[in-house]
Parts: sequence; structure tokens; C-alpha cells
Amino acid sequence: MTPPTLHTERLTLTAPSARHFAPLAEFYASERSSFVGGPLTADRAWRALAMEAGHWSLRGYGRFAVELTETGELVGVVGPWFPEGNPEPEIGWDLMNGYEGKGYAAEAAIEARRWVYEELGWQTAMSLVDRDNIASAKLSESMGCKKDGQFHSPSFGALDIWRHPGPEAL
Amino acid sequence: MTPPTLHTERLTLTALNERHFEPMAAFYADDRSSFVGGPLTAERAWRVLAGEIGHWTLRGYGRFAVELTATGEMVGLIGPWNPHAWPEPEIGWDLMNGHEGKGYATEAAKATRDWAYSALGWTTVISLVAEGNHGSRKVAERLGCTLERPYTHEIYGTMNIWRHPGPEVAS
Repeated sequence: MTPPTLHTERLTLTAPSARHFAPLAEFYASERSSFVGGPLTADRAWRALAMEAGHWSLRGYGRFAVELTETGELVGVVGPWFPEGNPEPEIGWDLMNGYEGKGYAAEAAIEARRWVYEELGWQTAMSLVDRDNIASAKLSESMGCKKDGQFHSPSFGALDIWRHPGPEAL
Repeated sequence: MTPPTLHTERLTLTALNERHFEPMAAFYADDRSSFVGGPLTAERAWRVLAGEIGHWTLRGYGRFAVELTATGEMVGLIGPWNPHAWPEPEIGWDLMNGHEGKGYATEAAKATRDWAYSALGWTTVISLVAEGNHGSRKVAERLGCTLERPYTHEIYGTMNIWRHPGPEVAS
């Protein structure tokens, strides 16, 4: 499936492509990626980007490259995510370096959640958040999520499951 | 780019999708995958499959799922491959478990080499073969490749670069 392009006030959510490699490699080179399997070398980061693109083919959905509409800069990778081994589909978000604290993750994740409820027909959604990732836990709370158990990921360790409000509650 | 479908005498080369996960997970669970970064858990194998598909998105080409035309069984993962920082584009081949020794890798690799030359306009191509991978070395020799030099990669260790005959010779 070809990813659609979605728009919010400040952001454009679009298909991950080769032009997103440089910012993604920078994110994965930094310690900020430690909650999502990093730091990774550029080789591994390229494979991670390829995987994001391939996830769309395998599942019919996947995470979006989130760009600032005004400049085209990549600010995040956000959206539905369900790799083999995960307990259920989630809404995931990674903010690229230098774009923290501006509300971009929330803005994109809310739009992605709307899309999975309205277009994919999901009845529920959760987000997996590393216990020590305070910023991400706060974002979950701001989106109305409640803690709903834990998942021990073989790759990422102990993660909290944050349950989003369902489609009818929104 | 949507992968085309190619046909050889016995094989159909087509786009990778979720039905190829099971044979790939079995391959990556096995020691046979040790020359290409394995063994890997099923979780990791799924990510590798997603990465193979995404390679098409990022490069406009990638490896094909190779199926037996008669049965639809997946026998290999073969075709042009050029992840970040690769020395240069290559033709790669992985044979799934139980399909060795039948000439499938050579048959499919030749078809994808022809495709890379004719459809992608490549003028030269290599294949990387891990040190000690005798089966793969034989495929390179059958394809008319000549040994060029060793190359060391952070994930795969030391491999040999084999140079294929160019488009004018190979066709």
C-alpha cells in the first residue's frame, strides 16, 4: 500500500523515503535513540529506514515521515507500527534531534491515531514506552492514555503499555 | 517502485510479501544464515524482510522472492542489493533451507543480472561472498565471475568481491 499524505496545522505526514536518511541517521547516531534500540551506525540506520518503508507493504500501514510543512525538514517518524513479536499494533513516535519540546510528536500522533481509527477501523490502540522515557510517558498522558500492563521486548527491554482512548471516546 | 515479475525455466521472481516470512524465518533460524548475519530470531527475520522490501522504495530496485513456478514454494531471495555504504551495487543470493544443490541460485541470479543490465542500465556488477561460503563461491564461478579483492563489513565480516562479466559478455 502507498502511504497517504496527511496534513495537520504545522506538519505533513508522508511516505518514508531516501531523503529522510540523513536526519534519521543523525537521530540513531545520538544517545537520544537509546530508548528505541540505538545508538546505531549509519548502515544500521539505513536498514531501519528501509524497514519502516517495508512495514507498509507487509501490514498495509506503517509509520509516516513527519515533515514541517513550511520547510520540509524531517521532525519525526510517527504512526501505526506492528512488527512481528509485538503484542498488538501500536502508535509509535520518534522525534528527530532538535525538534523536542514543540508539540510535534503530539500533533502527529493525534493525527495518526485519528487515521487508524477512521481509515483502518482500529477499535483500540496502545503505545509502548520505555519506563525511563519520561518525555514519551508524558506525551502518552497528554493524549489521554492510561497504563495498561507491560511488555518485555526481546530487543528493547521492559516497556509500559499505554492504552489510548478508543474511537468512540474521541 | 513496484517490482516486476521475471520468469526463468523453473522459477518465478516476484515482489516480496508476507507469505515469504515463514521460509525466511526458517532460513534465518538456521546456521545456514551465518554467512549473511544470522542466525536471527523470528522478530529480527521479520525486520529483515521489511528491510528487503523497503530497499525497493529507497533504491528503486532490490532483491526478488524466488519461487518455484510449479508449486509457488519460495526457494531464494535473489537480486540487486545496495544498502548504505556498500562498496558498490551487487547481485546477492540467499537460498532457503532445503533448496540447495539444484542450480536455483545460478538460474535466478543470472536472470536478475540480465535485468539489472537491461532495465536498470548497470554496466558492471559485483557479488560479495563471505569467506568460507563454498556454495556461494561456486555460484559466483558458474556465473563467470572473477575474484577481485577482499572487503570487510561491520555486520558481515570479511567477504570477497567477485566481479561479473559485463552486459556485452553476460547476455
